[in-house]
Amino acid sequence: MLQNPIEHLSVEQKNSKIIVCIKQVPDTQEIKIDPETGTLIREGVPSILNPFDEYALNLAIEIRDRFRNNSEVVALSMGPSQAAEALRKCLAIGADSAILLSDRAFAGADTYATSYTLAKAIKKLGPASLILCGYEALDGNTAQVGPETARLLGLPAICYVERVEALDGGEITCKRESEEGYELLKSPVPALITCMTTSSFEPKLPGVREIMAARRKKLEVWSLEDLGGSKDEYGLRGSLTRVTKTYTPDIKRKGVRFEGKEGVKELISALRGII
Amino acid sequence: MVNVWGEYDREMSEEQKLLKESLLSWAEKNLNAERVIKMNQQGYPFPGDVIKGLADLGIIMGVVPPEHGGAGLSWRDQALIADIIGYIDPSIATAAGLMAVETGWGFTIDRYASEEVREKYVKPAIEGKKIIGIASTEPQGGSDVAGIRSTGRKEGDEWILNGEKTFISGVYECKEMGGGYWVIARTEKADKPHKELTSFFVPIDSEGLEITEAYRDAGRGSLSTAGFVMHDVRVHESYILGERGKGFYQTMEGFDNARLLIGASACGVTRRVLEEAGKYVSEREIFGHKLAQYEGISFEFADFYANLEMLKCTYQHVADMQDIRYKEEGMPVRTGRAKTYKPQEIAKWIAILKWKAPHLAKDAADRAMHWLGAAGYTDEYILETAWRGVMSYCVGAEGGENIQKIVIARESLGDVAKPY
Repeated sequence: MLQNPIEHLSVEQKNSKIIVCIKQVPDTQEIKIDPETGTLIREGVPSILNPFDEYALNLAIEIRDRFRNNSEVVALSMGPSQAAEALRKCLAIGADSAILLSDRAFAGADTYATSYTLAKAIKKLGPASLILCGYEALDGNTAQVGPETARLLGLPAICYVERVEALDGGEITCKRESEEGYELLKSPVPALITCMTTSSFEPKLPGVREIMAARRKKLEVWSLEDLGGSKDEYGLRGSLTRVTKTYTPDIKRKGVRFEGKEGVKELISALRGII
Repeated sequence: MVNVWGEYDREMSEEQKLLKESLLSWAEKNLNAERVIKMNQQGYPFPGDVIKGLADLGIIMGVVPPEHGGAGLSWRDQALIADIIGYIDPSIATAAGLMAVETGWGFTIDRYASEEVREKYVKPAIEGKKIIGIASTEPQGGSDVAGIRSTGRKEGDEWILNGEKTFISGVYECKEMGGGYWVIARTEKADKPHKELTSFFVPIDSEGLEITEAYRDAGRGSLSTAGFVMHDVRVHESYILGERGKGFYQTMEGFDNARLLIGASACGVTRRVLEEAGKYVSEREIFGHKLAQYEGISFEFADFYANLEMLKCTYQHVADMQDIRYKEEGMPVRTGRAKTYKPQEIAKWIAILKWKAPHLAKDAADRAMHWLGAAGYTDEYILETAWRGVMSYCVGAEGGENIQKIVIARESLGDVAKPY
């Protein structure tokens, strides 16, 4: 369960939406690299809910349940039809409804086009008090979609958040770890927050009852038609970047061995050279 | 790559996949191989947290209708759960064994119980706060259910029970957590012995109920086997399960329900055994070849795997029959078949499953230990745990193999094969 939950939540934020952006990703623990081609072998790799998104979802549910403020937790994802599985898991964990953004026109999107699509859907969903995202996805590792979405929506963003300390009077206080210690950051709401998991976080495991209840919850699929605009705004066509090549870097590390008393001296001078 | 789930993952519904994911994640933290191995050793302390964990996931008595506190699962779902739990806990002790027995018998108790018994015992058992089960076997034998000697006589609105029950699973856990047992006693005078029986729910803390010393089993270290003697145990008539004189039929129904889940759990055991041993023989080399390259091993493996797939189909078929059996009572049914089955026909299929599935698991564990050599005989691997645990379901628990064969012979050869 989440530690040190939100202290306050003002009345104004009641009955509004908390939107959680999630992604279905390949389980990177199961991925192997083809030694011949150096590329990832994706075949037969199970898909999972991105763990940072799962944390964000748990945080959203905590906000909703702890304060019984009637906020609706909406899980939102862009992906192929198979991604509905991850959204169904979100519903079983405790989201109230889910939206899958799925259309051939959305395929091949870079982080900008992904953020654009998510932002369009968030606008269509109507007023939200908070938008939560995992700070990055296990497969892409860009950490760009959260802040880009915030920018497109004109919202403040706080990134790499571990905990939400308070949410009161139209203001949110978040805690994040930095190299020097912890930072407490305040922002007006609505705001977008990207989350990192904490070591004490234990994901909520949906049981039979929750899974059965999820069957009855609403999972809508929105296409290009639902979001509006032209094909040029989305997917590969709407992307600002192009992937021209993917490869595994050929790293040739050379080991150096220091031996005996002389070796210690040599090591010290070598280290000095590096520092 | 050792793939013991085959295409099962693709066959599963979204909900079933999610449930499997939850169960495996839960087990990773709470019931990993190391703990299962320890739990199968004698003197392991009572693992109440395992029971609570399974109950929190809603899998104990998931088939009980929601209005009675269950999840309203189909038998097809519950059988899949049993398979996964058998895979997690191949000792078939607290997790798999107790889940199967509690679910099979708990569901049956719920069907026939008064509101009082349901509220006091069934619902808390679903929540993992109490234990309920079956106490059928007596010192003179267990297979001849119609011949049981315990008696019940009526006095006012109470029944007075006398007799002894033995080889009962979970007695000490039940004593610790509270709960009780399905007990059959001779109450009526009729033309045939099986018409003289009535089922009762007997709380473990009833006055006059004396628990006997626990047996030291070969396996199932975390699940006690003991018995109890009833000296004028009084239960209110609201503790009768179902109708007077129908105890035999209801008990057979309870056995069907529990045996299906034991059979499916045993498939999970085979799955785990083949996975563990499969990894070993895929890596271990002798004379410059992997063990798996020797047909002496790979063909045996294939044999077990083929039988596992057949038994998986069997338990799915049996589960579908169960869903049809209970369809008229509003249970969810996920099958296209529109047939109805006679109880004896279902009993035959369940007997096939209950006979074959634990045997396959035991034989697979036996051969897998041979493949591993000395390592397989130690508790470094889960194989000997599975071997000792599953043996319990070959020799007797929920019906020994010969009683299953009698049922199959009766239904295929006809009445001529009846030894009774």
